[in-house]
Amino acid sequence: MNLRRLVFFGALLGLWEAAARAGFWPPYIFPSFSSVSRTLLAGLWDGSIVLGVVVSLRRILLAYSFSAVVGTILGLALGRIKALEDTVGSLALGLQTLPSICWLPLALLWFGLSEQAILFVTVMGAVLSITIATEAGVRSLPPIYLRAGRTMGARGLALYRDVILPAAFPYMVSGLKQGWSFAWRSLMAGELLYVNLGLGQLLMMGRELNDMGQVVAVMLVIIGIGVVVDRGIFARIEQRIRSKWGLLA
Amino acid sequence: MVERRRPVKLVLRNVSKAFAGRNGSVTALEDVSLEVRQGEFVCLVGPSGCGKSTLLNLIAGLERPSRGEILMDGRPVTGPAPERMVLFQESALFPWLNVVHNVEFGLKQKGVPARVRREIALYYLEMVHLRKFAGAYVHELSGGMKQRVALARALAADPDVLLMDEPFAALDAQTRDILHAELQEIWAATRKTVVFITHNVREAVCLGDRVVVLTYRPGRVKAHCEVALPRPRQIEDEGLLAVVAEVTASLRGEVMKALNEELNERVEGHEPAKAGVLRRAVGALGSGR
Ligand SMILES: Nc1ncnc2c1ncn2[C@@H]1O[C@H](COP(=O)(O)OP(=O)(O)OP(=O)(O)O)[C@@H](O)[C@H]1O
Ligand SMILES: [Mg+2]
Repeated sequence: MNLRRLVFFGALLGLWEAAARAGFWPPYIFPSFSSVSRTLLAGLWDGSIVLGVVVSLRRILLAYSFSAVVGTILGLALGRIKALEDTVGSLALGLQTLPSICWLPLALLWFGLSEQAILFVTVMGAVLSITIATEAGVRSLPPIYLRAGRTMGARGLALYRDVILPAAFPYMVSGLKQGWSFAWRSLMAGELLYVNLGLGQLLMMGRELNDMGQVVAVMLVIIGIGVVVDRGIFARIEQRIRSKWGLLA
Repeated sequence: MVERRRPVKLVLRNVSKAFAGRNGSVTALEDVSLEVRQGEFVCLVGPSGCGKSTLLNLIAGLERPSRGEILMDGRPVTGPAPERMVLFQESALFPWLNVVHNVEFGLKQKGVPARVRREIALYYLEMVHLRKFAGAYVHELSGGMKQRVALARALAADPDVLLMDEPFAALDAQTRDILHAELQEIWAATRKTVVFITHNVREAVCLGDRVVVLTYRPGRVKAHCEVALPRPRQIEDEGLLAVVAEVTASLRGEVMKALNEELNERVEGHEPAKAGVLRRAVGALGSGR
């Protein structure tokens, strides 16, 4: 974290605290930073926020890993088989334009008010981005890598594992990242709308109890998770690939 | 020569290859017959577009001939195999692997255990003088280093035949000279059968036991020139000149044909400026310069 950023966020929090204390708005409209922090700590202490985090993370991990596997396999198939590209490929492109939370009513009819429904919506958020990016990666694969791999004896599954997949990986990472953020958004939206437990539900509970402190505290937690995954995981993977492949500016 | 007594390694019998293109089919190769003996270093020269790369891909098994057959050790070639390794014009190293993992790739596919594989890879990296760079990534290497790694990668798979498609064309003259020396040394040590493609007649005569001249489209074998000069040779050796002249004379007609054809296409395609340049070039070549 550089100094400029530190000063900026310090000032922002100070301003927030000062504005809240000035008393223009009542605390249930505009809570102070200190009261939000207290709620956050209390929520962590009594376990309610921890439980929400655990439940939401469990859901996203399940849905996301499923999406990663299915999306990768689908993308490889679409990229390698012309007949699939023209058919399933354009279907995927079309469905991709649909915000995945729009699948919720359908999921509710199919699965009822259940865990499966929310997982379905989350999967629909991630799987198409991953599929499409993988397909693009396979399609842009220089044929010379395939030729080199085949002359060195890579065939069948080994050709996919050792040549096609690693060659497509830089493309896939952008799809995996986008898939993650779509999935995370869909999950939060789904939890807000109905599901029990999870961060989204904590947000709604805060609203129902008129507890603005809780609302803002949970929002901060959601932002925190997003930043950790984005900076801590995806940015690192991208950085590693760039230095390996020599794609640094 | 010694090679006469060696068994025949590769046989191409009446090989033709046509590609279906947008405006009809292109016959890249027609009726090519060629024998390469075990341990022989054969260079193929021919004008651009005459089908040299196609011929190499056919031998590699990456493409199938339209007619004719290709035999290795008497058995038909039906697909790519590590007994015939290809060195492509661009190194075709894998950017997601570091140098030593690139060299190990073929061994890994064969299921060679990790420790043995590493040992073999380092041995061949030593042979091309790049052991120090075992941990480097591909983008950290110069063009010449890449081609040396590609050579080590091909050798590590212990092929019988090395197929080289203008591997040094993109390198500067000094680097190329060094690689010529290294390649001859390695060839003398390993006694692989080599089929080497080049535009450069001097390079062909410097490296080859025999230089095969191909005609312009469709590619056919026009001439064989034996090079019975002592090794190791260098590209500026005076002794090469007589053979170079012989090969060049045989090649000149084909290059003229290629240029004339392109010239006609340019005139038809209304590119008079480029056609003018080409016409002068053809004129200069025709007058024997
Ligand atoms: N996959 C393909 N599809 C269609 N035509 C092809 C294909 N590969 C090669 N050709 C055609 O076959 C002919 C020979 O091509 P090839 O690449 O073998 O030439 P080359 O002798 O290697 O040329 P250069 O010296 O420029 O590398 C060319 O006319 C080319 O257009
Ligand atoms: Mg070529």
